[in-house]
Order: sequence, then structure tokens, then C-alpha cells
Amino acid sequence: MADAVLDELVRLIEEVVGPDVLLGIEVDRDTTFSDDLGLESIEFVALADRLRRHYGDRVDLVGFLADMDIDEIMAMSVGRLVDHIEASVGLATGRG
Amino acid sequence: MSRYLFVVPPLVGHINPTVAVGGELADRGHEVAWVGHPATLRTLLPQGACVLPALDDELEQRIQDARQHWLGLRGMAVVKFFWQDFMIPLARAMVPGVEAAVREFAPDVLVADQQALAGPLVAHRTATPWVTSASTPAELFRPLKSLPKVEAWVDAQIEDLVHEVVGRSTPDIRFSERLVLVFTSSALVGNGFPDHYVFTGPALSHRPNRTDFPWHWLADGQRRVLVSLGTLNGAAGERFFGEVADAVADLRGVQVVVVGPPGSLTRAPDHVLLAERVPQLELMPHLDAVVSHGGHNTVCEALAHGLPLVVAPIRDDQPMIADQVVSAGAGIRLTYGRVRAAEIRGALEEVLDRPGYAEAARRVQQSFQAAGGASTAADHLEAVVA
Repeated sequence: MADAVLDELVRLIEEVVGPDVLLGIEVDRDTTFSDDLGLESIEFVALADRLRRHYGDRVDLVGFLADMDIDEIMAMSVGRLVDHIEASVGLATGRG
Repeated sequence: MSRYLFVVPPLVGHINPTVAVGGELADRGHEVAWVGHPATLRTLLPQGACVLPALDDELEQRIQDARQHWLGLRGMAVVKFFWQDFMIPLARAMVPGVEAAVREFAPDVLVADQQALAGPLVAHRTATPWVTSASTPAELFRPLKSLPKVEAWVDAQIEDLVHEVVGRSTPDIRFSERLVLVFTSSALVGNGFPDHYVFTGPALSHRPNRTDFPWHWLADGQRRVLVSLGTLNGAAGERFFGEVADAVADLRGVQVVVVGPPGSLTRAPDHVLLAERVPQLELMPHLDAVVSHGGHNTVCEALAHGLPLVVAPIRDDQPMIADQVVSAGAGIRLTYGRVRAAEIRGALEEVLDRPGYAEAARRVQQSFQAAGGASTAADHLEAVVA
């Protein structure tokens, strides 16, 4: 499941930032949203919309980010969001 | 007659609207002065304008270096650096000069650009009435509202500065409670703002032109396009210029003026002119379309002349400005980082050939004219004193 969530997340990130931004970047769990991908606040919101459309209201990226301070957001990696998605989806479907 | 002091950062786009508003006030017989970086101000103001110092050349260089560094950052680091290493140090550095200027000039009203926070800080210290000059509407939309802890961090940076300089809490120093001048119109930003936010449209008057242009190069019977990316450059800029050069190489019946550093075009056929600087405002009446990075000033200057736009926003408030242009129907948005020549060419042909874009641009132009520009701003500034 981990790979499926990561692949889906990479696809959604690509939709938000455009495919060329990801050219030459091997997106893995350690890739950071801020420094590596250059995501800005409105792009986080766009990504949140896409995640909600794909996974439903269970995955709430805006809520997840709301608890983070600026340094946590700067340090946030793709892996951390993958874990969050898995936890959210798993809890909601009872798969834990 | 009243006395108005403009407090401005060393940034052209932030100074230019105050040149128009200050010029209009001076025409009405008021006393007007500017405080900021004297050398930057003197290149933009009419000769003989009263300029008071708040930044020496060394500090200004440090601020410009910080800004260059900032332009190379990505993601949330942009926000952190902007406040921590640009806005707050700039405000702190300007406070003594602004305070001396207030003592010397004794203004009835201090007009503070939104990125010159020394203005409201000194206004609070000296109990001087102050108003906000917002050269871009970006802050009106609370760009960080989806990241509440980041927004709170920014608020805390400002609150700490206020306590350090003023010695007590104040209302938000980014927005005056008396008057906020915003140099755009509801045709672009919509409605629903507080009553003391006044949308004047762009203020373009009184700007001295000190840049030459080979006017004889403009040929009759040709359509003309300006490509301007503001003061930004760097590697991404080179790539974009290269794509622009390819996009316009075979364009027939169109002359293209590209503003960029020497050598930034890989090829420049006869119908393409590369210039490091142009008298942009004087050029506008001769144009049919503008390609821009979405800087608020260039976009509003184009729309004020009823010109449709191709906008390739890079960062900052530019994506928002680009969306406003698209929503108004006055242009096409491209993705700066990945756009190719064919796409640029297609967008250019579209805005030149399909009358809908120019018609929408003229609707925005009319809304700007109705908003009144510097004259409306001056009316409201007079009302603050009355």
C-alpha cells in the first residue's frame, strides 16, 4: 500500500506544480515540499483539494498543516504526508 | 494647505504610485516630501522634489543583496526570509531616518508604503496620523490564511518589532485604520472590503521619463508587443527569454520589444528589439499586447492602456495577479517555469487576434478611469486632514 500512496501523491503533486518542475527530481519519501519542490501556500491548498477529491474528506491536508509552524512546514517531507494519508485512510476504513 | 510625507522602501514598483499621488498633491498646493533611499528616489522623482534620507547606500545595498538572495529561495523559506531578513530589518534600519524626517518636515499625514513599516512605527511614536499605500493588493487577501501557524508567526514578528520600537501594542501596522490606498480596481479584485479601503486604479501621472527609446524603429502598419519580466533575471529568466526568442522569430506583421539584459536573446531578427531599459509608460500607447511576469505595476499599466496580456507569473503575488487578469478575460496565463516557444506564440496570437481579450482589457481600463488614479487618492488624503 505504501508505494501506491506514494505514487498517487507524486501524481497529484505533478498536477499541482506542473510536470516539468518534477523533471530531474526523483521524488521519494525524503523529498521536501518546501525546498525540493518549492510548494507555496496556495499550492498546498490546491494539493489539499486534490487529495480530498481522491481520498475523500478523511484526508485533510489543510487541517494537517494547520498544526504546523513555519519550520515544520519547511521540513515536511513527502514521506510524512504519505504516513498521514495512510493513517487517515486506514483509520477511516478500519484497516489501521 | 497640508504637509504629506511619503515613506517608501528602495523598490521602484512601490515608489512609482507615490510619485503620482505626491505630484497631484503638490499641484494642489500642498507640501510633499519623500523619505527612503535618496539615490533611488532621485531617479524616480521630478527634479527638485524634497527627499529625506532613511537608508544610506551601504544599507540599501544590504537590503538589495537580501532581496536577491530571497529571489533564489523556494517554498516556505520565501515567507520566512521575507519577514525575518527583509521586512523587519528594513523597517528597523529606516526608523531613525523616518523619525528625523518627521521632526524636520512636520507632516500632517504620513503615507506609508505597505513594505515600509518604519512609517507606521514612527507615526505611532510621534502620534502622527498615517495611512497605507498598498502598491499591490496581495496582502488584502491574507495569502497565508490556510497556514494559521505561519500567519501567526508573521504576526508575531511584526508584534515584536512594534513592541521594540513603539513600546506598546498597536493595531495592525500593515493596514491603516484611517485610509488604505490600493492602486487597482474592483474590476480586478472584486468587492467586500472595508469602507476605508479606497481603490484608485493605477496612479501613473507625474512620472518623469529619463529613458531613451529608438522611436523611429517602430514601423507603421505593424502590431507591437512588449515583453517585460520586471527586474527579475537569473537562470530561469534566460530559459524564458530563449523560448520568447523562438516564439517570435517568425511572427509576421508584429514588432516585439524585449526588455532584458544584453545577450538575453539567442537571436534577434529585425522585427525584435532587445533593450535593457525602456520608457515603459511612454511605450504603452504604441502597443497591442504585453507579455509580463505578472508584476502588479506592469499589468496595471498595460490594462490602463486597454492592452491584453500574456502573463507568466514567477512568484510572490504574481500568480494571484495573473489569475485576476484571466478572470477579467483580459489575458492568458502561462507557466513560467515550463512554458515552451509554441505555447508563448499561441498565446500571443490569441490575444492579438481574438478581440475578446482587448475588449476585456478596455473594460478594466474604463474601471481604472472611473476609479480616478492619483486624483482620487489625493481627494482622500485631503479628507484625512480636513
